[in-house]
Amino acid sequence: MSVGFFLIHAKPHRTPAMLLSWSLFVTGIALYLFVAHARHRDNPEERVTPTIAQMARGMYDAALKPAEDDEQAASEGTMVERFRNSMLWKDTKATSRRFIYSMVLLIPAVLLGLHMGLFPYVGAFFLRFVLFFDKIVALSLLPILFIAFGIDELAKVMLIVIGVTPTIILDTFNLTRAVPAEQLVKAFTLGAGDFDTAYRVVLKQIMPRVLNSIRLNLKSVMLFLFAGEMIASTDGLAYRIALLRRHMGMDVIIPYVLWVALLLFLVDLGMRVLNRKLHPWFQES
Amino acid sequence: MLRRLSLLLLLAVTGFAQKASFTVGWSVYAGWTPYYYLNKAGILKKWADKYGINIKVQRFDYAPSLDAFVAKNIDACTMTNMEALDMPASSGVPTTSILIGDYSNGNDALLVRNGLQMKDLPGKKLLLVEKTVSEYLFDRALTINGMRDQIKKVRLINTSDSDIATAFISDTSASATVTWKPMVSQILKQKGITSLFNSSQIPGEILDLTVVRTDVLAKPDGQKFAKALAGAWYEVLGLMSAKSPGTDKVLAGIAEGSQDTLDSYKEQLSTTKMFYTPQSAVGFGSSPELKQKMDLVRQFCFDHGLLGANTKSVDDVAIRYPDGSVQGKGDRVRLVFDLSYMQMAVGGKL
Repeated sequence: MSVGFFLIHAKPHRTPAMLLSWSLFVTGIALYLFVAHARHRDNPEERVTPTIAQMARGMYDAALKPAEDDEQAASEGTMVERFRNSMLWKDTKATSRRFIYSMVLLIPAVLLGLHMGLFPYVGAFFLRFVLFFDKIVALSLLPILFIAFGIDELAKVMLIVIGVTPTIILDTFNLTRAVPAEQLVKAFTLGAGDFDTAYRVVLKQIMPRVLNSIRLNLKSVMLFLFAGEMIASTDGLAYRIALLRRHMGMDVIIPYVLWVALLLFLVDLGMRVLNRKLHPWFQES
Repeated sequence: MLRRLSLLLLLAVTGFAQKASFTVGWSVYAGWTPYYYLNKAGILKKWADKYGINIKVQRFDYAPSLDAFVAKNIDACTMTNMEALDMPASSGVPTTSILIGDYSNGNDALLVRNGLQMKDLPGKKLLLVEKTVSEYLFDRALTINGMRDQIKKVRLINTSDSDIATAFISDTSASATVTWKPMVSQILKQKGITSLFNSSQIPGEILDLTVVRTDVLAKPDGQKFAKALAGAWYEVLGLMSAKSPGTDKVLAGIAEGSQDTLDSYKEQLSTTKMFYTPQSAVGFGSSPELKQKMDLVRQFCFDHGLLGANTKSVDDVAIRYPDGSVQGKGDRVRLVFDLSYMQMAVGGKL
């Protein structure tokens, strides 16, 4: 252990490695608590840095009390029922719905990328435009989006599509191009048709990498989704955060942000597991 | 050489250290843009020098300026009476209003499409920035028209102020919007849009203030800061309201602060009741009206949970008025209306 402690050849044991990996979390939380404590001592009504207890209460209310506007769902029934009437669940549902729509809309993007990479005429038609489109900062085009898609769900989903699909298309395109030409030739000699080659030879083997690329873009998807919800909406996690910001409701905002992080982590984990299940032969190179 | 340089540096540093430094934040609004001119024309510097302090002026977007003030990053800030109450005051940052600049006299408006009437609003989509003065105006509009019980039936859609004009113009499924100038002027230029209600029907309820943290005022240098601000403020307001050939140049200089034209700025001023003289501001500040209007505002804030989830009673965030009376619990005064700096301006004692 003592030899080459900080060197490439170091072999940390399980326990120290575990401790090290959590140390930054501990430092961060400790720092926060320290600052929050100091600020609360200075000002008992402090709202910018809520204490753990305040955040717990805020989250408890968010998870078990109905959103302010539908009071008919009073605080009765079992915990599960109450959770399903709560502000948190309502917001999560709205945001997830938009999230799922936009993920579904990524499927055509993958197919387009594949075709662009394989069929020269499709590539000639789309490539230059997608390259250009990829550099457009979608958020600055909002007024045009409103005119084209209204201000409802469609505009929010389109914002994500415009923001994220070019990246996915180009990524799929590059992955398709990276498939050795010999394989295509071989597939053709073995009697495969054009679409057999496209879907059963090329798509099949780039799929795990495409999934990875989507996984890495989850954060952009969420960023655009949040931007859309903050601009105009009546529900959603970002809508609530935007609203709470107006009166410094940090005791709910911080747990909300952590909740979003957890959900994103779970989606990411799910996709990783799915990838491994679907493509057990795939080794990350 | 090196020694001389470091000596100079030392002198410079101590020179700065001796002068107390303060920051005032402002955001774009007809009644606040004078701060841009105040700074640019060197008027504020003149007054700061008179009191031997440094004053920095910083432009913000509105919401971040409030955040900065609550976080105590800046010492003074422009905000409405409602935000003064529900942001700093209710977050335990005692706040004092030292200048009553103006009230919105038509700047905020409820606009509708296709000649709708007030009674048609329930069930319709209405765009606005929720939990702000816009929602207050909407609340008051329906209350005054005897439709208080219908408020919840209007479908409010929270829309960011930077996009609300295009969103309302392009989405015809939204029947109404509540917003403020210059967006109001922009939307009214479209065909078929009429104004149902505006802030001139609730005069003096949406006040635009310059506030200072109360703990800053407790220090002697803080007093100097407030005096310098008041001095510079009324000097510029005097220039704005003077009937002389140079006035337009001053107004154009102010309009430049929001990338606006002189005409557009004048149009906005026409629906802003500026208290150009300290006398008029003191007159309004000491009238019983102020208490009645603030009572409406604080009730609204409390009903909408803007005073914080832990605030159990509207009286927990108390307001003290110039005559010494307190609205709310006496030991929980968080917002103070202080007329003394404006009174000094009246008496020429700044």
